[in-house]
Parts: sequence; structure tokens; C-alpha cells
Amino acid sequence: MAEATSAPILTLRQIDKFFGDINAVERVSLEIQEGEFFTVVGPSGSGKTTLIRLLVGMDKPTNGDILLRGKRINDVPANRRPTCMVFQSLALFPHMTVGQNVEYPLKCRNRPKPERRERALACLKVAHLPESYYDRPVTQCSGGERQRVALARALAFDPEILFFDEPLSAIDFRLRKTLEKELKDIQRETGKTFVYITHSLEEAMVMSDRIAVMRNGRIAQIGTPREIYTSPNSRFVSEFMGEVNTLPVVVDDSGEVVCESLNLRLPLPASLPRDKRSGSLVIRPEDLRFARDGEGLIRGTVFNEYLLGSRVQYQIRVGATTLLVEQLRDTDTAMLRDQSVALTFTPTESMLFLE
Amino acid sequence: MTEHTVPLTGAPVSRRATALTPPPAGVWCALPMILLFLLGFLGPLGMVVLYSFMPRGSFSPIGRPTLENYVDIVAQNFHISFGWSLWLALLSTAILLLVCYPLALAIQRASPGRGILITVLIVAPLFVAENIRLQGWVLFLDKAGVLGGSLQALFGWELDSLVNNVPAIVFGICYIYLPFMLFPMLLGLASVPHDAREAALDLGASRWRLFRDIELPLAAPGILIGSLLCFVISLGAFSEAKFLGKGVIVTIAQDIESAFTFGQNWPRGSALSVLVILIAGVAVFLAMRQVRLENLLGRR
Amino acid sequence: MESSLLSRRLLALYLSLVIVVMYVPMVVIGLASVSRSRFFVFPIRRYDLKWYQDTFDSLQIQDALWTSVSISVVVALLSVLLAFFGALAYARFPWRGRSIYRQALLIPVFFPQSVLGLALQLWFNSLGVTMTWQATIFAHLVWIAPIVTMIIAIQAYGYDSSVEEAAFDLGASRWQVFRDITFPLLGPGIFSGFLFAVLLSWSNFSLSYFTSGADVTIPEWLYGKMIGGYTPMVPAVGFLSVLLGGVALTVGLLIRARLGGRR
Repeated sequence: MAEATSAPILTLRQIDKFFGDINAVERVSLEIQEGEFFTVVGPSGSGKTTLIRLLVGMDKPTNGDILLRGKRINDVPANRRPTCMVFQSLALFPHMTVGQNVEYPLKCRNRPKPERRERALACLKVAHLPESYYDRPVTQCSGGERQRVALARALAFDPEILFFDEPLSAIDFRLRKTLEKELKDIQRETGKTFVYITHSLEEAMVMSDRIAVMRNGRIAQIGTPREIYTSPNSRFVSEFMGEVNTLPVVVDDSGEVVCESLNLRLPLPASLPRDKRSGSLVIRPEDLRFARDGEGLIRGTVFNEYLLGSRVQYQIRVGATTLLVEQLRDTDTAMLRDQSVALTFTPTESMLFLE
Repeated sequence: MTEHTVPLTGAPVSRRATALTPPPAGVWCALPMILLFLLGFLGPLGMVVLYSFMPRGSFSPIGRPTLENYVDIVAQNFHISFGWSLWLALLSTAILLLVCYPLALAIQRASPGRGILITVLIVAPLFVAENIRLQGWVLFLDKAGVLGGSLQALFGWELDSLVNNVPAIVFGICYIYLPFMLFPMLLGLASVPHDAREAALDLGASRWRLFRDIELPLAAPGILIGSLLCFVISLGAFSEAKFLGKGVIVTIAQDIESAFTFGQNWPRGSALSVLVILIAGVAVFLAMRQVRLENLLGRR
Repeated sequence: MESSLLSRRLLALYLSLVIVVMYVPMVVIGLASVSRSRFFVFPIRRYDLKWYQDTFDSLQIQDALWTSVSISVVVALLSVLLAFFGALAYARFPWRGRSIYRQALLIPVFFPQSVLGLALQLWFNSLGVTMTWQATIFAHLVWIAPIVTMIIAIQAYGYDSSVEEAAFDLGASRWQVFRDITFPLLGPGIFSGFLFAVLLSWSNFSLSYFTSGADVTIPEWLYGKMIGGYTPMVPAVGFLSVLLGGVALTVGLLIRARLGGRR
């Protein structure tokens, strides 16, 4: 966990980026603390890659300021910024060996050969690559090994901030899970600030200290993984987490929230504004439970069952709507198709968004 | 259930013009080639167009414009040689289409290493001057040449000379320009994904259907480029008619040459050239509208 | 891909036939060059290497050889220089006129060479430029440089361009990016382009014929003798020319294979 230091290492103030008429990044402001693992998530086209490129120096913002430790770096070109990016394609130099790749930033800084070699070997070690890989051509490395080479190279010149552009998107599940944890460990060991982008919130939750959710060029919400998960501030953010149940609701004259599709009435929480008339009710699948007889709020029939490893997901038909219910696999319970069930949930655990 | 937002497909290409590439870099790099194009191609062709409107026999591009050279084309029967060149080019292109397609297929089917070897073998003669290659054929096909001579020696057959006629000329043109058809065709066929073929067969397509519905449409750009290249380049053929045809017909290129050299009639030669330029230009224009060359070459 | 054995055999046969046909003239020329008689008859009555001897003794041929080699080498060097930047403009750097540039670049290739040669002759005459082997270099460039540009551009498409950005991000100056990344990665393409340029220029006739003026290249010399004053030195020179070209091509391909190995 990062301790909040007094001054953030990277500050963005009202960053805009226009491509012609298209506003790819719109009035983005945020602060990243030193030593943090900060992730920007969002769907394709949300602007996260554009934002990262602005921070690294590959592009210039149309408006706004980027401050590194309080100093404005808008005009500092990428090769002079103390930052480094791991590209989505990794961008390893195919005509060089692992050692030459990792040493390259040092070569650009005219470090003498012995120092470069020593530093490169140290970085290989941090990235969990054996020393023997030093002379291996990168084209002979496997996918996972290449990730490590890219990381070692990025660490070589000791940058203040490392940026990652969805580096794990192209590898298989097992390897990805391993690398996610390793990245987090390496970040903690080195104490460096990592800024990571991904489209998978799940990945973000595993690794990050804080997450920023982007949508259409703007920041939708910033918070710790727990905050994002338990208190999403909009329907978009709540749906971004994965499969959730979203149901349209209206607020009737008596001030109650009515969900017609589920035949449900709920009290309107005090914290929500009184003047909005419609919105969405979002219930996470794991917050829906099968009720014992007589207790249920919702009646429906079992439609499908999906085994997801340690959890089971059920599709329950309620009228014209299908609800998703998830729970841990329990060998005692067996559900049959078309079986009548009753569901219940705790209203405070659900999320209500009015517009 | 994430909402799918509209991706930045409308973003102009300048997205990639980043800190690394100052905006005019592309312009500076292109400048030498652009100059070459202007001074070595557009300039000369423009000059030719100018001259074509000058009075007969004049040596200056500035004068009283006239259409007499164009009138002469028909009046002096140059349209015959022009017709011949056009016909030869069309015929050769058609023949080469049929000849090269199976070749391209065979090469594509071969293993990569072997395919490259075969391609090199077929294309290598391109690096030998056309004179030599044509002369070889003359010596092969002529009366006492390799073919005639062997047949005579072995079987006692007497063969008349196989050259000095139009088919020999067509053969010569096809022979010389074969690599120009083959190479683009290979590129075109390379863009037919192997799985598409297999899927079609799996779904029940006959060989003919496979060709018509899958191969042909996907390979069409390459085939088109190959045909265009062959057609346009063979319009300018003149060695073949001279050596294999021994003057039985005269091509437009020979007429242009005579006009410029012996005839000392630059405007006439220019008018004839303009004809050729027009035909070539129209062909290129029509074909290029159908094909984006860079799609053929790269995954941009 | 399932296809009957028969069709595969037929295709293979066809392929072999075509390859044989491609080389028949060269073989015939070789035969003609060792036949004693002045006019070629087959079967060969008497074999002799006299014509090769005459070729080596001939000053004309030595001149023509020198001219051909000089033109080829200079054309290749200049082509690669122009084409290197032309290819970067084609494939790597976005700029405003790029789509027109891409369409227009290859137009000189899609053009009858003899007409281009004659147009250049007219152009040179009008501008008062004396036509010598240097004019021929220019003529060859017009046709060959675009081809080399495409060859290098294909190479540029073949690698992930973010490696250049990555190098920049890691601290390289623009010059270092060029020297350490762009240039080595384009190497095989540059070499191929060079090889192609040498050979295309070496064998070119149409453009040389109309623009070289008093200077004579090997193909031009051959043409002149074939029109009038035929001697069996023609097949001898022809065959030597083929051999030289073949050797250059083979050596070049071997080097290229060596270069392209590290990807």
C-alpha cells in the first residue's frame, strides 16, 4: 500500500487532446503518488492509450499541464523524460540480443560497457530472468520471457515512472495471472511508480493501489479497488466490473423505487436526490441469494447453469428478464431446469443510479 | 456488460506523427523521389506533348500550334503500326494471364524455401538483356537452328523457319515479359488466406467454385496489377518485332524511333508518343482506381 | 490443401517445363558461342573458343563493359540512396501528400520503356544536354529508383514500428534511433534493392539505347551487331554477360540470405 506523500509525483491538470475535431482526452485531471501502482482502465476508445502517450511524451496535449514533481514537462521530449513505457507489442529490438536490448537505454546515455553489463544483469535478475539469457537473441525468447526482457529494459536506466500499455493482453491466462502477481511484487520491491493501462478491471483490481476508470476521454471515477467495487459512482462504472444485473426502475409518486421487471418495490435511500424519476438498479450476481421458502423477494425459474471453476453461475428467468446469480459451488445444492426458485438480496448491497 | 464506445477510427493519420517524427520528415524524405519524377518523367512527357502540337519538322517546342501531326497519324498510316502494337500487347497480356496463373498456384503451393527458389529461377532471366534472350530464340527456331537442325539430323525432317512471323513475335513478347505478370500475381495470390480455401472446400465448394468465388476475388488486385504492367510495358516492345519478326510488322515504338532519328521529325514522333501515353495513362488510371497498392504489400 | 495427385503432378510438370523454356535461349547462346562457323548451324560442326578469344581482345568490348559496369554501380548506389528516403516517406512517416505520392511513385514503372527513352532523348536534346553514359544513369534512375523504393518499403512494413518509438522513449536521440534501429532493420531490404538495381541496370537495353549517345553498353553493342555486322562474338559476349549476371545474382542472394537470417 502506498503511503500518501505530501506532494504527488505526477500531476495532470485539465489535459485535453484533440485529433482534428475528435476530443480523445477531455479535461483530465489527476494526481499520482510516488510509489503507487496506478491503473487506468476503460473500454477501447476511451482514451487511455492516448493519455499514456501524452504522459510519456510521444504526443503533446492540446491543452493542460503535466507536472513531474511540480515541474511542467509538456515540452520535454520523450527521450529526455525520466519515464519509460512498456509497449503493448513490447517493441523489443528484433536484431539484438536480450543483453543488448536491456543495455540500450544505458548506451544512449553513454555509460561504459562494464557498467552497462552489470546493470543489465541486475535488471535481468529483478525481472526473474537467468543471467544466461544475456546473449540470447530476443527472437528466440518465448512470450513470457519477452515480457520480462521488456520490463528489464524499462528498468535499466532507473526511470522515475514506468508506464505499461496493456502488455499482458496477448498472452494466455495462466501466464498472465503469474505475471500480474510478479509485476506487483516487482513494483513493491523496487518502490517505483507504475502507471498501468488495461481494459480488464479484474486485472486492475489484482495489481493496483488506485484505479481510474475512463470513458469517452473523461475520468469516470478514481478510487481504490475496493472503493470502485463497492461504491461505483455511475451505472457505467458498475457495469464495467463485469457481468452485473441492470434493471430499469422508476420512482413513483409515493417516493418508492419501483422495478417492474422484478415486481419489486424498494424504499428510496436518503442519500439520493428526490427529484429524479427514473434510473437503473444494479445488483451484482454474487449479491443475489437463493432464499428459503417464504423469504424471497423475487420469484423465477432456473434457465441455465454455468460451472465457473469454484463458482457456479445461474441464469434465472423472471418474467421477461434474465438474472444472473453467482455463488460458491456447493455439492449439496442441485438445481434443475425450470425449477421454481425464490431469490433475495440485501438492498443496501445493490446500487441505484438515478438520472 | 460494458458499454461499447465508438473507437477513434476517425482519427487522422497524424496520430502517428509523434514526438519522434517532426511533421515535415515525410516531405523531406519524399523530396528526392518527387524531383526525380518531375525532372525525369513528367518533364520529358510534358515536352513530348508540347512538341506534338508543333509544325512538322520543327526543332523547337515553341511555335505555332497545329494538329497536323495528329492528322498525319491516320493520313500516313501510322495507325496501322499503332494497331499492331495494341493488338500485340493485348494478346500477350491475355496469353500471359493464362500461362502465369497455374505457375503462381504451383509456386504458392510449394514449401516456402522451394517457392522462393523457383521464383528466383523464373525471374532471374530478367537480369539478362532482352537482346540476348531473343537472339537465343532466333537461333533456336531459325531454319538451321537448334530445333530445325536437330530434327533434321535425327529424323530427316525439314522445317521451315519458325521465325519471321507474327506468332513468333507474340511468343517473344510473352517470353520477355512473363516475370512482370508472374510477380504481381504471386503477391495477389499470397493474400488469399489458406484457411479460406480450406473452409470453402469443407463447405462443399468445387474446384471451379473455389476459383471463382474465393481465389479470384481475393487475388484480383495482384492479377490486375500484373496485367496492367504487362500490357503497358509491352506496348513499347520493339526488339521482338525486329529480331523475331525480321520486320514483318512494324511496331509503334519503331515508328517513333524512326521519326525521332532518321525522319528528323520530332513533332511527328511526339504525336505518336502522345498516343501511346494516352493509352497507357487510361489503362493505369482505370486499374489503379480498383487497387490500392499498399494493401497488397503491407498490413497497414 | 487436398488436390489430386494427378493435378499436382501436372502442375509440377508444367512448372518444370516453363523453367526449362526460360533458359533455352541462354543454352542456345552458349552453344552458338563455341561453334566455329560464322553463321550458326545446328548440329555444330566444329567447336572452337576463338570467339571468346576475340572478345577478350576487343577494345570495343572492354569499353562497353566498363560503361555497363559503371552505369550499373552508380545507378544502384544512387537508387538506394533516393529509395531509402523515398521508402520512409512511403511507409513510415505520415505527411499530407502521401496518398498521392503513393499512387504516383510507380507510374514510371508502368510505362513503355522505349517511349520513355525516346521522350528522355527529346528532353535532353531540347535542354541542350549532351547524351552520354551519365544521361543513361539518369534514365535508369527514373525507372529503377521507384522499384527499389517499393522493395525497401516492403521491408519497412515488415517490422513493428513501435521499436523506433521505444528506442526514443528509452533515451535515444533521433540520430541514434536511425543508426541503431531503423537502418539495421531495413538492411536486408536495402541490400535487395541494391542487387535488383545493379541487375536491372546491367541488363537494360531500351533506356540505354536512346540516351547514351556515343557511349555504348554491352546490350547496345549486341544490338548494333545484331542489326548489321553480325559476328559470333555476339553469342560469346552474350553468354559472358549472362554468366556475370548469374554470378552477381547468386552471390547477392547468398549474402541476402545471410543478412535476413536474424529476424
